[in-house]
Amino acid sequence: MTTARRNVRDRLGWVVDGILPIAILVAAWQLFASIGAINEAMLPSPYGIGLALFDLATGPEIRENLLVTLYRAFGGAALGCACGVAVGIAMARSEAFDAVVSPLVSATYSLPKTAIVPLLILWVGIGHTMAVLAVFLTCLLPTVVQTYHGVTATPNVIVWSARSLGASRREVLWHILLPHALPDILTGIRVALGFSFVVAISAEMIASTAGVGRLIFMYGENGSYAYMFAAITSVVIVAFAADRLLLLLSSRLLSWHVSQRGGHS
Amino acid sequence: MMQEKISLKDVSKAYDTRSTEVLALDRINLSVADGEFVALVGPSGCGKSTLLYIVGGFLDAEGEVLVNGAPIDGPGVDRGVVFQEYALFPWMTVRKNIAYGPRQRGMTDADCNNLAARLIKLIGLDGFADRYPRELSGGMKQRVAIARMLAGDPEVFLLDEPLGALDAQTREIMQDELLRIWLNNKKTVIMVTHDVVEAVFLASRICVMSARPGRIVKEFRVQLDRGRSREEIMLSDEFNRIRNDVWLAVREQALLMPKQ
Repeated sequence: MTTARRNVRDRLGWVVDGILPIAILVAAWQLFASIGAINEAMLPSPYGIGLALFDLATGPEIRENLLVTLYRAFGGAALGCACGVAVGIAMARSEAFDAVVSPLVSATYSLPKTAIVPLLILWVGIGHTMAVLAVFLTCLLPTVVQTYHGVTATPNVIVWSARSLGASRREVLWHILLPHALPDILTGIRVALGFSFVVAISAEMIASTAGVGRLIFMYGENGSYAYMFAAITSVVIVAFAADRLLLLLSSRLLSWHVSQRGGHS
Repeated sequence: MMQEKISLKDVSKAYDTRSTEVLALDRINLSVADGEFVALVGPSGCGKSTLLYIVGGFLDAEGEVLVNGAPIDGPGVDRGVVFQEYALFPWMTVRKNIAYGPRQRGMTDADCNNLAARLIKLIGLDGFADRYPRELSGGMKQRVAIARMLAGDPEVFLLDEPLGALDAQTREIMQDELLRIWLNNKKTVIMVTHDVVEAVFLASRICVMSARPGRIVKEFRVQLDRGRSREEIMLSDEFNRIRNDVWLAVREQALLMPKQ
């Protein structure tokens, strides 16, 4: 068999391996619902959720609210990651800056950012700004920590080699420190991206006039559980796709890295 | 007297540890002439690598370091360097690693590629130009590190145990290559090594350093006819006489080291 064909089979095999457990769970769930072991008023059946999902997919409601949530999640994540990388580099490069910022990072790292949503509402009101701000704060810290680690872990001898080949201090940052930190930065961005959906939706559930979070909350309040699950499913699909896209991008960017020695993540 | 290339005047280096200050180098004076190959040998922990890093401009020190009569200001393209741990740029292919120095000097892409291709041929890595460092063996990486330094076209080669991580066979092959490169280019070389045989085989002068604090305690001139084969050189009486003398001098220093 040719390598190309074997690769296709490997990939298909991986898809089957990944989907099979979920398929079994859904089938069992449907079976118990069909024989009446599950009260559909408490937990809708997969079939009911499928119908609701189809209904939502053909109407504007889910699309419009999903776009609002995506805008907030990606906007906040992009801003948070960009600032996180900048702050991480500054901490790694300046002892004075590190001395000031490091305690702040440690103190706020494990704080759930959704806890300060009420405060954000007080400051900026309900709407895009509040949700983007919450996502921004959530995405900031993982990228700061990962960038700092990646930059400070750069071996001296690599920096010295570049300097003796004519790199200025500024060029060392772009040519050496950032590429060296890239695997860590991408890890931070992946964590941040995962959190961004969670926080955007949580913020919308707490207070919002639009977004998937509000939609899920509304369906739940109205007892439309099939529609609630359908909305949740649509979020899961989008978040999964975003994560896979990022992984694909990472493997493209890190073809040089030891983590890419065959296999998939 | 040949022109002086590198001059160290009363160079001292102290490290701060948590409790005390440790003197790593104590008033080193060393003058290296243009075209000389100086080997620094001594017991481990004597500060020979530290001395090399100071000449490279990577570490600050007390005293004066002059290159071509002018005090150094940090690292410079006049001093190329090869480290024991290769220090290749992992995200660059072999070709890009080697072309980094020329590109920094403003050489055009076409010229960079030509120069890289020539050096890749010189180090016998044809067909590996587009490989990443992680795909190479230790010996291949070390050859790329040497080629990258050569591409920078420095006046002085600073070699920090460049062959230390290689197996015995690869090591001898690389020594032959280094010797050939030095004889052909007439560059100034300072090499740190813990291998006395390597030092005698390659260097025109050997400086033996003392146990900490590092000082240069003995110097040996090596005047061998390098035109001969490795076998002829290494089996000659003069080679072995110098090797014995240097080995004894290093051994004396090693015995003075405090037991750890």
